[in-house]
Amino acid sequence: MNFQRLKPHFPWITLMILTSCVGVYDPNFLRPANLLALAGDIVPLFIMALGLTFAIFIGGIDLSAQSMANMITVVASVYLASLGVGVAVLCILVGALLGTVSGYVTTRLKVPSFITTLAVGGVCLSAAQWLSGNRAVNMDATQRDAVFGWMIGRTGIVPNELFIAAGLLAICLFVERRTVLGRALKAIGAGELAAAASGVRVARYKIAAFAISGGLAAVAGLLFAVKLSGGAPSIANGFLLPAIVAVLVGGTPLTGGVGGVLNTAIGTLIVAVIRASMLYYGIAATQQQMVFGVVLILAIALSIDRSKLRTVK
Amino acid sequence: MYELKSVDKKFPGVHALKSVDFHVNRGEIVGLVGENGAGKSTLMKVIYGAYQPDAGTIMIGGKAVRFAGPRQAMEQGIGMVFQEQSLIANLTIMENIFLGYEAQFQRWGVINWIAMAAAARKQLAKVKLDIDPATITSRLSFAQRQLVELAKVLALEERIDGDLVILLDEPTSVLSKDEVTLLFKLVRELTSRASFIFVSHRMDEVLDLSDRIYVMKDGAVVDVVTREAARIGTIQQKMVGRSVDKQYYREQRQKPFDPGRVLVEFDKVSLPGRVRDISLRLHAGEVLCLVGTEGAGRESILRATFGMLTPVAGTVTIKGKSSVGLNQPRAVARGVGYVPRERKVEGIVAGMTVYENMTLSQMGRYSSGGVLRVGQERALARDWIARLSIKAHSEFADCGNLSGGNQQKVVLAKWRSGGSDIMLLDHPTRGLDIGAKEDVYEMIRDMSDDGVGVVLVADTLEEAIGLSHTIIAVKDGQIRKQFDSTPGHKPSLVELLQYMI
Repeated sequence: MNFQRLKPHFPWITLMILTSCVGVYDPNFLRPANLLALAGDIVPLFIMALGLTFAIFIGGIDLSAQSMANMITVVASVYLASLGVGVAVLCILVGALLGTVSGYVTTRLKVPSFITTLAVGGVCLSAAQWLSGNRAVNMDATQRDAVFGWMIGRTGIVPNELFIAAGLLAICLFVERRTVLGRALKAIGAGELAAAASGVRVARYKIAAFAISGGLAAVAGLLFAVKLSGGAPSIANGFLLPAIVAVLVGGTPLTGGVGGVLNTAIGTLIVAVIRASMLYYGIAATQQQMVFGVVLILAIALSIDRSKLRTVK
Repeated sequence: MYELKSVDKKFPGVHALKSVDFHVNRGEIVGLVGENGAGKSTLMKVIYGAYQPDAGTIMIGGKAVRFAGPRQAMEQGIGMVFQEQSLIANLTIMENIFLGYEAQFQRWGVINWIAMAAAARKQLAKVKLDIDPATITSRLSFAQRQLVELAKVLALEERIDGDLVILLDEPTSVLSKDEVTLLFKLVRELTSRASFIFVSHRMDEVLDLSDRIYVMKDGAVVDVVTREAARIGTIQQKMVGRSVDKQYYREQRQKPFDPGRVLVEFDKVSLPGRVRDISLRLHAGEVLCLVGTEGAGRESILRATFGMLTPVAGTVTIKGKSSVGLNQPRAVARGVGYVPRERKVEGIVAGMTVYENMTLSQMGRYSSGGVLRVGQERALARDWIARLSIKAHSEFADCGNLSGGNQQKVVLAKWRSGGSDIMLLDHPTRGLDIGAKEDVYEMIRDMSDDGVGVVLVADTLEEAIGLSHTIIAVKDGQIRKQFDSTPGHKPSLVELLQYMI
């Protein structure tokens, strides 16, 4: 067994080791109900990471995801009263549209995606502040329960969010493995020039990747708003770093082309376990981002294919 | 004074230098000629320290030396004037000249610009360039930058004790005639300060400038001629002269093409850069070879046919339709296939399987409503793996792990299976071993039989002559001569060379 052949298996091995470490520390951690609740809690983050996977899979990045989710919590809270269930459609459209803008700027105006999405994120943040008057906005509880209550209940011991997550994962997995879009994104991530020389409409597919990323960030925001029964321009802050960690720890490197959404599912669970273990080891919530920062750097340093990079700036 | 003794260098699959003996005397100008792939670049890299030889010795002034890198070679007096100029465009001339050697002007970490400018002026005087050393390099003309580069190398003179050897790699390729004359005059004068090794594709220039000429072929020095004994014709024959086997290029399979079916037509096309006034026709079943030196414009013509370059004048017609607004996806849709020179970068996607690579250009044909029919894709791949005897364990093999020849077969299968009938082949046999080359030749003949028009930029001239129906010689962006190349009437190497260089 050499290192290269073992590498694709690192994510789930890491997950197992981490889980058993915490389990040894406190056997209660391993109770199914506890594990399921833990998984349910992480679903909004997972959906955001799922979208990010598409942007990272093609070798780009979407830094607007967190601000997008923030903005959508506000949009969902403000328009639930007037649009009812239609607010979900509005949220996803807004997310996909802003993602399309990021993709368009990246591919046609040749602005690197990290700066494009950072800028679009700024737009989202400001839009959220303007729309909410920079305050927390609340959903009407009865209306929320009537329209979106099914999202946050429980079926037996399984949180309903997990069904949503599983459904989205299945759709994304199908897109990735079985559609022209998924194949094109893989080709772009692994060898963009060869894809272009084969007549693949590279720009179009890249824009689609950013649109998916934006759309799923919006779904994450919507679910978050429903869970908290309201929204605020900074309510999802602290999501971006763990979401990127989830994608990278899962095994989709920043250079793109390998990995995928299934990897992100495992990566998100790793993040969930790390987060939970910090509670067990008594690390304060204010210190969590420090841990994720360190984990992110380690994940990138370990996963990156250095032969693909000539210079790093 | 500078000497290489039976130097050997091997790369995976290539014996790049075969026991090369080479020496330069004090104040001498030595020419180095050979075809692409003959080993000139490798030899130069060994000389200026970028490569370390696997065997043999490097001697300077009778002492054996070993360089770990170009900087160490420089400290022993070996300087290199690069073809792709190595000056940093946003620095001033003097900063470039003393790049990496600023310490001499430094005090407490601060550079004394006045001292540096004075020193730079002294270096510029050696190359007779009267210009303010504080000028930003990007504002210089190409010829001026070449001189600055030369001055930078000459600055070694003050830094080291021994003699100076300066390599000039294709220094004239973008200079005008007057500039070349000036450069040569300067180089001759500078032989009082240094010896030169001069590498060029232009035979007349090499003969004009060099005292002695080394001729390389297939990694070995095949001849050393003195200025007096040098004749262009004999040198050219030595450069390329290996026995050409008609069997090897499948000449017996060459059949006349169909002159009634024009697939691609260029009418007085000019392209960005210096390609001007190109008119040509590609017919069904024809193999059209473009010959010329590196940068003569062959690749630009291929890329324009594939929609990667837009003509600035003239019209390109593909199968009777104008190519205005042509881009790569549209070119593919019209049946154009492109086999790029950089196989690993533009040809295959490493990390994707054989079947994924084969259908990459034709996913629309293997999907319905955006959902791929993977079963059909795999069947296609299995079919072509068998037809071209591609050595892959299955259609699931990662293309990145295949050998070069098999990767090339995957690229060809990608286009052929999609029914492309205009094939653009850019150095399709580069880096392949002989068996794989023959497979490619066989495939080119198969394509002709199927009525495919092929535009070929060949790896060697023999290959171009052996495979082609028609040869077009390109020089400095213009067509110099078109040759008919039917079996029995094929042009000779020397005939082609005189229109190329």
